[in-house]
Amino acid sequence: MNTAFFWLVTLPLVASPLVYVIGRVGANRDSRGRAPAAARWLAFLVLLATWIPFGLAAQEVGTRGRTTFSVEAIMLQLDGIGLVLAATVLAVGTAVALHSFSYMGGEVGEEKYYAMLLAMMGVMIGLGCAGDLFNLWVWFEAMAVSSYLLVAFYREQPASLEAGMKYLVQSAFGSVLVLLGIALVLAQTGTLTLDKIRMATQVGSPAMLAAGALFVIGFGVKIAMVPMHTWLPDAHSMAPSGISAMLSGVVIEAGLVALLRALMPLAGVTPSWGILLMGFGALNMLYGNLLALRQSQVKRLLAFSSLSHVGYMLLGVGIALHVGQAAGAQGAFFHLFNHGLMKGLAFLAAGALLYALHLAAGSHDALTIRDLDGAASRYPMVALTLSIALLALGGLPPLAGFMSKWQIFVAGFASHDMLIASLVIFAALNSVLSLAYYAPLVNACYRKEPSAAVQRGAALPASMVLPLVLLSLAVIVLGFWPSLMNWLTEPAGAALLKALRG
Amino acid sequence: MAQSLILLSIGLPWLGALVAWLIRNEQERAQHAMAVGFSVAGGLAALALIPHAASGVALRVPIGGMFGDMTFVADGLGVFLAAVATVVGSLAVIFSVSYMHGDPQLGRYYFQVLLFIGAMVGLVLSNSMLFLFFFWEITALCSYALISYYNDDPKAVRAGIEALVMTQLGGVGLLGGALVVYALFGSYEIDAFLKNATTLGPTPLAWMAFGFLIAAAAKSAQFPFQTWLPDAMEAPSPISALIHAATMVNAGVYLLARFYPAFAPVPGWKTAVIAVGVISALLTACMALFAPDLKRTLAYSTVSQLGYMVYAIGVGGIAACSFHLFSHSIFKALLFLSAGAVIHAVGTRDMGKMGGLAKQMPIACTVFVLGALSLAGIPPVFNGFWSKELVLEAGLTGGPTWALAGMLLGAGLTACYTFRMVWMVFFGEARSHLHGHDATPAMRVSLVLLAAGTLTSWLAAGPFFHLLESTMPYHKLHALSLGELAHEILAAPFTWVAIGVVGLGLLAWLGRNSLTFITDGFGWLGAAASKSFGFERLNERVVDVTRATAEALRVTQPGHLSWNVVGIIGGLVAVLILLTWGA
Repeated sequence: MNTAFFWLVTLPLVASPLVYVIGRVGANRDSRGRAPAAARWLAFLVLLATWIPFGLAAQEVGTRGRTTFSVEAIMLQLDGIGLVLAATVLAVGTAVALHSFSYMGGEVGEEKYYAMLLAMMGVMIGLGCAGDLFNLWVWFEAMAVSSYLLVAFYREQPASLEAGMKYLVQSAFGSVLVLLGIALVLAQTGTLTLDKIRMATQVGSPAMLAAGALFVIGFGVKIAMVPMHTWLPDAHSMAPSGISAMLSGVVIEAGLVALLRALMPLAGVTPSWGILLMGFGALNMLYGNLLALRQSQVKRLLAFSSLSHVGYMLLGVGIALHVGQAAGAQGAFFHLFNHGLMKGLAFLAAGALLYALHLAAGSHDALTIRDLDGAASRYPMVALTLSIALLALGGLPPLAGFMSKWQIFVAGFASHDMLIASLVIFAALNSVLSLAYYAPLVNACYRKEPSAAVQRGAALPASMVLPLVLLSLAVIVLGFWPSLMNWLTEPAGAALLKALRG
Repeated sequence: MAQSLILLSIGLPWLGALVAWLIRNEQERAQHAMAVGFSVAGGLAALALIPHAASGVALRVPIGGMFGDMTFVADGLGVFLAAVATVVGSLAVIFSVSYMHGDPQLGRYYFQVLLFIGAMVGLVLSNSMLFLFFFWEITALCSYALISYYNDDPKAVRAGIEALVMTQLGGVGLLGGALVVYALFGSYEIDAFLKNATTLGPTPLAWMAFGFLIAAAAKSAQFPFQTWLPDAMEAPSPISALIHAATMVNAGVYLLARFYPAFAPVPGWKTAVIAVGVISALLTACMALFAPDLKRTLAYSTVSQLGYMVYAIGVGGIAACSFHLFSHSIFKALLFLSAGAVIHAVGTRDMGKMGGLAKQMPIACTVFVLGALSLAGIPPVFNGFWSKELVLEAGLTGGPTWALAGMLLGAGLTACYTFRMVWMVFFGEARSHLHGHDATPAMRVSLVLLAAGTLTSWLAAGPFFHLLESTMPYHKLHALSLGELAHEILAAPFTWVAIGVVGLGLLAWLGRNSLTFITDGFGWLGAAASKSFGFERLNERVVDVTRATAEALRVTQPGHLSWNVVGIIGGLVAVLILLTWGA
């Protein structure tokens, strides 16, 4: 049994109820029902501590390719893919926890927020390590359950409740499809263990084809593949900003990892999976970009941009599946990690402005693009980091998004396939299109004439700005030195290929 | 030595960018001082690099994996463009000391300018196609940010985004080409590619050649992407001089020149390059004849002159092209900066409101006239004359007659619009009560140095051509000494034809009142030119259609849970059908 791996999954999960109890007890004693600072500090420190087992487990994966631990008959295995997911979860999650100190400070139910956040993070790390379909489904559902409550956190707000409701119903619908798929696989192969399913599959088996389709659609709801994406714009814009960052930056990507886990053993059934994923990727890019183009609310715009970024990841993974090369997957996982940083940063920076301009004054109005006018004059750091995030999402150098998109594109051309090459060009054109909605936000921030909202905005505490600066630095450093992440993405690409071929 | 100089000429401006940004906006003097200091230091480093020019890889930074190595080659073309970028860059920064005086967001301004200068040096010295593209995009980012520097003006924001989207759109061609090379060679290195280009196979090579042509046309504002550059004139004038005249817009020409040996054998490529050059040069020369705005006239003229350079590449005159690029970056920077001094003084860009400013602004007037004479190609001491004649000579030996005739006509038009511009701004009756003070001392430093360059840079022809010949083995250039150049140009009868055409252009402007029967006949041309021959309309249409599509698509997001679930079921059915059909 590997202790580092054990603690990586367990620490956040064990800390979650502790945080809740400490917060709840404190809140009961407080005259206004506010949770004590101890709760948020405990949550933050636990996340910091989780980096230690992460580092140790990463070393293990680096040398041996994978590491495992088992409880009775259930075995969890951490390979490159699980490691990328864990890294993204921890990187975005730590920043979110710190950012939330002031953002959520004093909100009713703050202790629930941190408890659910920790639980969601632990569950997502676990999700990346499932070795069989049953466990995969359990982790997947646990992730969904912990995120419902966070989406509908502002339970007094009708819009927030509506978003939570849509998310709940659609997610549950997707889960049912996944469950049906699992049932089909079990009926056909008599096993749920991923490695054994691969050996039991037959080419062209209709039941397995249907199972694969159910996986693609069922997990596709969570990944926000068009046309299953309709819950996302509401959920991601209505949730507290830290949760928007987690949902966009990590949760939909966790869905993608789950899909890959479930679909890889079925790779032998048909060669179409790769094409299918590339097709969804192209659709997501174009649709996400076009819809983002007409948004007037910043968080909604960012939510739609997540659709198009999932498209890039699907393209990379699809390339890897279709031609059986690791490079596409490596690019996709690099983009997954970078998107976590960039979109996390974008939502946190937008959240900081939302907090300063509206929430601090007790208003739950949305942050509009017009509100951003002149933001740089009062909140220079937030405006700068928001701009960095947006330009990075648009794929401009010297920022991280440029490099991971490039890696996916290179992989596409390296396949020597005209269809894939034209999809890559299509993806590049979509990047250009995306600038048409990212750039105006940057321009708005740097106007000299501040908007009314900015003029009467509240001051921002350092604890909210610090995570923005750290994420920005990461985005810039990776833009100059993309190979810094090779230790993470190379094993992930290799692991996908291994899962594909056995 | 070359290693550290390359690092310094990229690194010093970038360090300066950080320093100028870190200094708070309240300490304006310190910001100016740091920006000037670092940009001048960068310029000195780039100048010191010239003697170290060589064809081999001078600096290699391993990045690893699919990103290859970041390599730099300091060959003739690279070092001279790096010198232009940093020297004109530092002059523009010096000019900014008084032009941007009192601006509340100075830190941001200098950050972007200095980031641009460093990136431009990286672009021209890079030997890796990935990092060529990397720096290419950084220059586009800075260009966008600086065009829309006055963010409160919706026109500036629109122009900035237009420039960004258009150059990026073309940039996809460069991206595709670089990816083709990596897919087939497993390396991004440009020198290795130039050596083995033929082994790439004709089809990939053709895709690449035309992809790069699209990228170059977009970056250098050539047909059919020419509209972004005139709109980019919303930028502060030093930026127009630096980015939109002397450096970034040359990147497209640089790209074509750099890859010429590989692409020249591609069927139809050279003709396409010639056509792009000729059409751009003529269209925008016509537009410059009718434009009322001083900076837009200069922008049209820039597109037109870039057309000459593109044409020169199409006819195989790489050396002539580089030489004209060299002259143009000096005299056009001079024109933009002196125009900036005028605009700064009188507060309008409308030439219709100027006139008679020569008496009030003698220095600005003198240097502007020097730049204008060079632009018009007046012999014998202006650099523009020598380089333009060299381009036309190259066309005479290597290109089709129709193209040469077009370029000759363009030379006449250039003379005509140049004199119109000079006349409307500085001479004749004052058409309003504008009062201009002459250029300030900081401005004068930049103007005088550039004016001196306009008069003398052609004297460096000998070493310039030798540098190119000796360090660019794949281009097979033939070096000319200054004496040979003078002989070749002055002894050629064709030169006198060209001078005659320029003279005709001049006469046409002087005698415009007695030529009404011709000008009346060309009224339609004026009307079409003022509407940019419909290209702006075309852009607007594309934007409108995209917007309308996006708006129409919002129907698919009705916000009803039942429809959302229908989406999921529909997705499942579609996938099942596709899989059954596919498998």
